[in-house]
Amino acid sequence: MPLLETQGVTVRFGGNTAVDDVSLSIEPGSVTGLIGPNGAGKTTLFNTVTGMQRPTSGRVFLDGRDITRKAPAKRAHLGVARTFQRLELFLSLSVRDNVRVAGDIVKASRRGAYDVNGETDRLLELTGLASIADLEVSSIPTGRARVVEVARALMTHPRLLLLDEPASGQTEHETEEFAVMLRGLADTGLGICLVEHDLPLVMQLCATIHVLDQGRLIASGTPAEVQASPEVIAAYIGNEEVTA
Amino acid sequence: MDLFLTYTILGLVLGSVYAIAASGLVLTYTTSGIFNFAHGAQAMLAAFLYWQFKVAWGMPTLVAFVLVVCVIGPLLGIVLYNVLMKGLRDVEEVTKVVVTVAVLLGMVALSQWIWDPTQARKMDMLFGSSTSIDVFGVVVRYHELLCVVSAIALAVALRLVFTRTRLGVTMRAVVDDPDLLRLNGYNPERIAMSSWALGSGLAAFAGVLVTPVAGGSLEANTLTLLVIDTFAAAMFGRLRSIPRTFACAIALGLVVTYAGGYAPTQWDWVSNFKAALPMVVLFLVLLVLPQDRLRGTSQTRTRERARVPSVRQAAVWGLAFVAIMYLILQVASPIMVGPLIAALVFAVIALSLVPLTGYAGEINLAPLSFGAIGVIVAFHTGIVGTGLAARLNWVGIVAGTIVTALVGGLVALPALRLRGLYLALGTMAFGGIVSTLVIKEIQPRHWFGLDIALFPAGILVVPPPKIGPLDMAKESTFLMTLAVLFAVLGIGIVALRNTGYGRRLAAMKDSPAATAMLGQSLVKLKLSVFMLSAGIAGLGGILMASTAGSVSAENFLIVVSLSLVMLTVVGGVSHVSGALFGGVMVGLVFTLISGTFSGLAIEHPEFESLFGSFAHLFAIAVALMGIGVNQNPTGVVHQICESYRPLRNARPVLYAGGAVAAGVYVLNYVGVYGDWWLAILMFCGVLLLPIVGRIWMPERMMTPAELAEHEARRTPPPELMGLDQPLSDTERFELDLLLGLPPRPLPLQEFAEELEQLTGKDEVHAPA
Amino acid sequence: MTITAPAAHATAVVAPPILELIDVRASYGPIEVLHGVDLIVRAGQVVALLGPNGGGKSTTVKVAAGLLPATSGEVRYAGRPVEGIAAQDAASLGVCTIPEGRGIFPNLSVRENLWLATGTGTSRARVEEAAYRRFPILADRRNQLAGSMSGGEQQMLALSRALTTDPAVLLLDELSMGLAPMIVSQMYDTVAQLVEEGISVLVAEQFARTVLPIADVAAVMLHGRIAAVGSPAEIDADLSTTYLGG
Repeated sequence: MPLLETQGVTVRFGGNTAVDDVSLSIEPGSVTGLIGPNGAGKTTLFNTVTGMQRPTSGRVFLDGRDITRKAPAKRAHLGVARTFQRLELFLSLSVRDNVRVAGDIVKASRRGAYDVNGETDRLLELTGLASIADLEVSSIPTGRARVVEVARALMTHPRLLLLDEPASGQTEHETEEFAVMLRGLADTGLGICLVEHDLPLVMQLCATIHVLDQGRLIASGTPAEVQASPEVIAAYIGNEEVTA
Repeated sequence: MDLFLTYTILGLVLGSVYAIAASGLVLTYTTSGIFNFAHGAQAMLAAFLYWQFKVAWGMPTLVAFVLVVCVIGPLLGIVLYNVLMKGLRDVEEVTKVVVTVAVLLGMVALSQWIWDPTQARKMDMLFGSSTSIDVFGVVVRYHELLCVVSAIALAVALRLVFTRTRLGVTMRAVVDDPDLLRLNGYNPERIAMSSWALGSGLAAFAGVLVTPVAGGSLEANTLTLLVIDTFAAAMFGRLRSIPRTFACAIALGLVVTYAGGYAPTQWDWVSNFKAALPMVVLFLVLLVLPQDRLRGTSQTRTRERARVPSVRQAAVWGLAFVAIMYLILQVASPIMVGPLIAALVFAVIALSLVPLTGYAGEINLAPLSFGAIGVIVAFHTGIVGTGLAARLNWVGIVAGTIVTALVGGLVALPALRLRGLYLALGTMAFGGIVSTLVIKEIQPRHWFGLDIALFPAGILVVPPPKIGPLDMAKESTFLMTLAVLFAVLGIGIVALRNTGYGRRLAAMKDSPAATAMLGQSLVKLKLSVFMLSAGIAGLGGILMASTAGSVSAENFLIVVSLSLVMLTVVGGVSHVSGALFGGVMVGLVFTLISGTFSGLAIEHPEFESLFGSFAHLFAIAVALMGIGVNQNPTGVVHQICESYRPLRNARPVLYAGGAVAAGVYVLNYVGVYGDWWLAILMFCGVLLLPIVGRIWMPERMMTPAELAEHEARRTPPPELMGLDQPLSDTERFELDLLLGLPPRPLPLQEFAEELEQLTGKDEVHAPA
Repeated sequence: MTITAPAAHATAVVAPPILELIDVRASYGPIEVLHGVDLIVRAGQVVALLGPNGGGKSTTVKVAAGLLPATSGEVRYAGRPVEGIAAQDAASLGVCTIPEGRGIFPNLSVRENLWLATGTGTSRARVEEAAYRRFPILADRRNQLAGSMSGGEQQMLALSRALTTDPAVLLLDELSMGLAPMIVSQMYDTVAQLVEEGISVLVAEQFARTVLPIADVAAVMLHGRIAAVGSPAEIDADLSTTYLGG
């Protein structure tokens, strides 16, 4: 059974169809890419998975369980976590507290023991943030800030991690380290979905790639298949027939 | 049928005035994103000005009307926008709210300065109350006709402006996409300014129209609050839709009139309920508004962040605070103890804002109304004994606190799903309901098998508390108990910020979207912090009542609540010290200043008006502090503390300061001089401490950069060389070279060393 | 597409620069997205700014249009530095920008949208006349809310502002986004027509092949920097690698 499945998800804003009948699935223990030109509907699709946006029609399943009408917080309890394209850090907290507060939330909303401080230290170590843990989060560079969002999301022990353009703002070196970290996370059984414009990164990291264009799913497959797909090339570069 | 027609017409008149006021509110909000709490105050000022022109100076009606509504009203809007509102685009909601609230308070203070509130003024209908026409047998005064006709005309005119004029079309466009409007060559700020001009003109219009309809007496507070009744209508249009706003305004006018007209006469509560109805409707509207969509905030680097103190620091400050209060108590004259107690009870109420507004970013504009709930509950549950032996026991205090917390939860409920502004409006509605409905429950009524009046005879006599052996009938005991209570609560609130709960509140304030995505139910979190805050406000209210001995409606005026909120934000709402500042300003400084000046006025009758003006000027100055809050969002107390921070590195200065303070205190204690001198000397000493520190130990007090600048100032500028101090050999040598004189021989060894220092190189060869 | 690219290469080098970005950096809040961009549009030139999204094309356009202040570096119009110019002032200087998405006000009617295009001084009648002549469909829709039209019609309406206000420079951001190929080619026909009238154009576009035929110079943006500049033919050769990786 796939970890996440969307069935015919459609989102309309007024007359605009941002996501158009998209059915796709994400497997646990792997990194899945979600790519497409600007305005293809990737972030909107993310929002329907996380509950920030109700789909006009269609359904979203996590582990076969219908979560279409669940509130965002409830989905987080079920194991959905995300990062944000335009960074949603807690700017009045330090790096450590940004991560720690996620543990505070888990502890407050779920029963059972949860060692917030121990888990914070472990994840700061794992993501390589330990050395900057006591800095104000507003003072660190964007590349690091993206990692803080990932560490924060991991505090909730998610089963599905949605990353919205995590590599933008990272240096090449940071991106390389980031890719290694993501692969390590996927190996622990976590399902990762990656919206990213750094296509070399996506091609290198993802087992499966879904391509959206104008709200529609136009291709799904391995990196090689996607790169060879004429629809994908047309979506990204423009239609050969028109320009010929 | 005639009766129905009469009520309908009266309702339409009221609704029309509501519509005019509310549409101005919506107009300014949509184009500038600022909800103008001062809208009512603008209407009030306009009514007073109209009275001044028409009645006091005898101008013709039309001239006075045009001057107020078409000239001064819009001009005031333009000034407000350009001076204040323009800079508020990207600031926190709290700052926006506080700035317009400060404008409201400033306008009320200004009007009371110009128009002495003890003197009654009456404003007649625009064409006199005798001019009327007959509509199906009902007498309709011209003024009433004017209200309805102007509302209709306004609806038509706004529609035309919005579709037929370029300005109107740009006003709609700025709501759609301000950036695109820039690209079309328009300045959105100029459009917002025009809408402020128009909106303020409408406020003035509403003010002139509503005053005679509401009875005609000019009273600043009442008139200001009249327009708040229209918030419901504006909110029904979601602060966007003018047609919906109009519809709700008219409906509101009709319902209020029918409710008053048709209720059976034995229902004595109806007249109160009628007054509360607009607030009740506002509440209902907030309840049915669709939920805000959770969306990411566009985060910008905000100005410097507040430092979060540790619990240990808080404990030290708490102890110091109690000690200082003790020392003050030893020397303060007995008449000062009362105001000090008042300062502390207000500080406790203000403390309720720290977790709510400071940590969680939500706004409560009516903390005193929550206090009123606490007082009522405590009054009914906790008084033992009678006469002078009567005491308030702990049961009353605890019950009052808990019930207020529960009521707080109920109040917050409708607005929990919405953004901060709506919650603020919800609390304001609650404040209105408390003062028009709850406090007016002065007759006994049959509640659940008991005959109880909530607020018997309009005055609650609350005796001093007695908890175990601690009897607070003695003022000094009460003061020290309050000091300890404030310190403990303060330390608790600082400690709270350092717990997981406090971090969750901060997270919710910074990014609601991210907080929800991590699994936090925002509704639960907001509800809990609102209940906590209401509970503290309830406790503070109980204490306030028992220090005052008795409380009446006067004590819970929304204006006092607004002042307290404003001053706490000015002091720094994220800090316990900000709450102390707010409490001291409202409870102590206000009383002292007005008391001192009125005392002086009695002593020196020849300067009476001058001293009176000082008191008013002070009130306006306080409002200006609120208006300036955008300059200093972390609060003045925080800023002042920051300037003392370097003193920690200069212990000797601190010790010396402490010694001087002790000396000054002892001299007062043995009676060398009085309290005023003590206060002034202490104030000066504290003020001078950092300056003394900088002169005495500059290297410890300054940052390296400041130190470098300081040093640079100590080396004389070139033109003063040789005047202040003799020229060195090197300088003499360079000067000779420059002037073309044969250089005097230079001690070469010394020169080489200097150069070495300058360049850091060894192989310098001295000139031969 | 049938328009032949004007042989502007030889002349373009000597033509004076009309829009220059010199070592421009820009950020959204704490996130820096442009890390030093140099770009010159010379009079009469069409410069295509290509590259995958997220590369900083839109931000470059925003900085050039005055919508976003550069955190460092310099923007020059016709050789003059215009530090911190407001977008409305840029517009009245003749910089016409069609922003990403739809450059229209969705809750205003077509006529009202065209009316607002007169902000830089053209008469209302002239704007309507020119827009309806070029896009007759807009005349049929004149009283309809702009947001209720199809994507193509909305983009026609957006482009009408460039057509009718006689700008000196046209900044286009993702003209083709979400449009059918037919419509896109019609849009670029219109742009080509404007170019013939002597307008200089900076066009950010991810559909490289739709814009390259009318471009004189093409630049590729990656990670907030200009990664390559060259003739359209040179850039075209490496497109697939640039976009989809190795």
